[in-house]
Amino acid sequence: MTAASSAAAAAALPRPGPWGIGRYDAAGQPVFFEVGWDDWRRDVAWARAMLADHGVGPVKGDGPGGGSPPCAEKVGGGLIVVSGMPESPWFDPFETAARELGAPYSIGEIYAFEAFRTGMYARRLPVTMIFGLDRTVAEGLGDELAEVVARVPVIVARPDAAGLLARAGAQPFIVSRVGPALAVECPYRSGAHVNGAEWAVAERGGELFISTAGPRAHQASEAALGLRGTLTDGPCGCGRTGQRVIISEGA
Amino acid sequence: MPDERFFEPDVETMPRARIAALQEERILELVPYVYERSALVRKKWEEARVKPSDINSLADFTERVPFITKDDIRQFREAAQDPFGGLLCTDYADAATVFSTSGTTGDATLYAHAWDRWHPFWAATARDLWEIGVRPGDYVLGSGFKMRGPLYHADQMVGAIPVLVNTGIGGWATALDAIRRYRPVYAQLTGLALAELDHLSRTTDMREVFSSFKGAAFAGEPLGARARAQLESWGVEVYLWTSTGDVTGAWECRQHDGCHAWEDCVLLEAVDPAGRTPGTSAPVADGELGELVATSLDNPVTPMVRFRSDDIIRMTRQPCACGRTHARFWPVGRKGDETIVAGRSFVPMDIWRALEGVPETATALFQLVRPAREIDELKVRVGYDPDTTTSVPELRDRVSEVITAAVGVPPVLELLPEPELLARGRGGKLPRVVKA
Repeated sequence: MTAASSAAAAAALPRPGPWGIGRYDAAGQPVFFEVGWDDWRRDVAWARAMLADHGVGPVKGDGPGGGSPPCAEKVGGGLIVVSGMPESPWFDPFETAARELGAPYSIGEIYAFEAFRTGMYARRLPVTMIFGLDRTVAEGLGDELAEVVARVPVIVARPDAAGLLARAGAQPFIVSRVGPALAVECPYRSGAHVNGAEWAVAERGGELFISTAGPRAHQASEAALGLRGTLTDGPCGCGRTGQRVIISEGA
Repeated sequence: MPDERFFEPDVETMPRARIAALQEERILELVPYVYERSALVRKKWEEARVKPSDINSLADFTERVPFITKDDIRQFREAAQDPFGGLLCTDYADAATVFSTSGTTGDATLYAHAWDRWHPFWAATARDLWEIGVRPGDYVLGSGFKMRGPLYHADQMVGAIPVLVNTGIGGWATALDAIRRYRPVYAQLTGLALAELDHLSRTTDMREVFSSFKGAAFAGEPLGARARAQLESWGVEVYLWTSTGDVTGAWECRQHDGCHAWEDCVLLEAVDPAGRTPGTSAPVADGELGELVATSLDNPVTPMVRFRSDDIIRMTRQPCACGRTHARFWPVGRKGDETIVAGRSFVPMDIWRALEGVPETATALFQLVRPAREIDELKVRVGYDPDTTTSVPELRDRVSEVITAAVGVPPVLELLPEPELLARGRGGKLPRVVKA
């Protein structure tokens, strides 16, 4: 078959470079960063654990369940990942993790003119999680937002969409890009977890700074993110002990 | 292998007889499979009184199996409340991804795949990137939209490194920075991106920017003559590609003599666009205008079976000068794009060419507002460059003049600054024919 023969040809090739290159801003300047293949594999493993905590798993035939924290039951449906191509270094690990967990996923792009796609998937498919919903798409859904909120039990949203979603009746969890890292809230809502094996976040005067903690291709040191937020430490109800960030809305 | 011309030489240069044998083998496996599993296929075949036992060869398949149209899928979806329109052949749980067509015509169709490492829609695209010259260790601009899934899988399959930056509207200042840092060899371009590049070219040495490129792909809509000439003046070799009935992509090779369909992945037919049934819509001869009909040969989740794409093409099964043997086709337009106003017939490309001749509208961003195929009044929404437009009324006169000359009917114009019109785009392209 085509996919198999092309994959076999690909497997025979050297892969001398990293998984890909992303870009974030630090101190008002663009920073291009490598994501190595090993970095990506560890990011996928962390994403798997975060999604599993939210109940993402193989689709169950008896309809959606769970969704309220702590998610004891499996969510048991598909996901819509709302992200753009340039955000793939952050979101691809979550897409890969969803696939590995057995949950079909769809992509809702982050552009206003593509908001209809997120609404269409939520309307047509047994979707039980939207991951990454931002203000642009939430606003782009217009009157359909309330219907989407009522239909999808778990919404993991960007900070800039949290208020809008709350007014539409949702209780969103938070996901946010924090420089080259992604912070994701677990079902216990005690701040968005950063993968402490890879990154260390500091807060000074209400601004967040990030450094690399793991053996990553990209080594950042106290990179000023221009992102307002606070830090929380100590054990979380989910069992993780690392840093959590609380991003100011609109960040 | 990096020195070889083809990514999969045995597949890409397979003799025609072997392609036909391979397709027949897959079709004969597909026929009972879809009849048992696809509710829409079962319905259409029962209506046409066709059973799997009637299909014993590729010829039987193309002579007897009924077509499926986008309207069939939509109607089935609404009647049966089935999101997949009767196309799903597995459990939803067996799908890894569910993506959708662009939705430019107002109604996106879902399609799903099961996969493990690389997304199947983009797997064959690795052959096309290899042909452009992308090799292990090369950087590429990992651009475009994600609605059809991770396009960068094709980059990674050939060992390239995608630089994932915004190449959409408003993103090219950053993209130029990335190009200067990484010197990529390839990028994916869309019509909306070209509009922004056109503006940047006034202040930027585009030949220097693109000097590292081996090629750039363009898809989503026709490439106007002016835009092609502009890209070539920047030293960019443009490779057009298009979809084969949403089964996979078909890309130009270095010969630029038609888009190569990968016939181990898709059974491609060109049939008489006027008829509706196998009996009235016969295959057209090589090189004649026909409607693209696609059957998936490598997707067990939502296989398309004789799907009528509405795309009008010319196709040939003659081998290409590049050495590949799979069918090639040239997209001509969309069925139904022909419009009749006050008794005169034209296609959107006529307006396109006219607008390219006016400097303020040279990016040819426009929409034909057409509630029906036959209309009494020619309404056109045209985007203009606000930076170079000094008088909108004066521009209106000139645009009206060139469209009248091209179509033979004076238009009713709605002129909008380009950014306002671009905001009406979907999936990286601007719908050129809209109802309102």
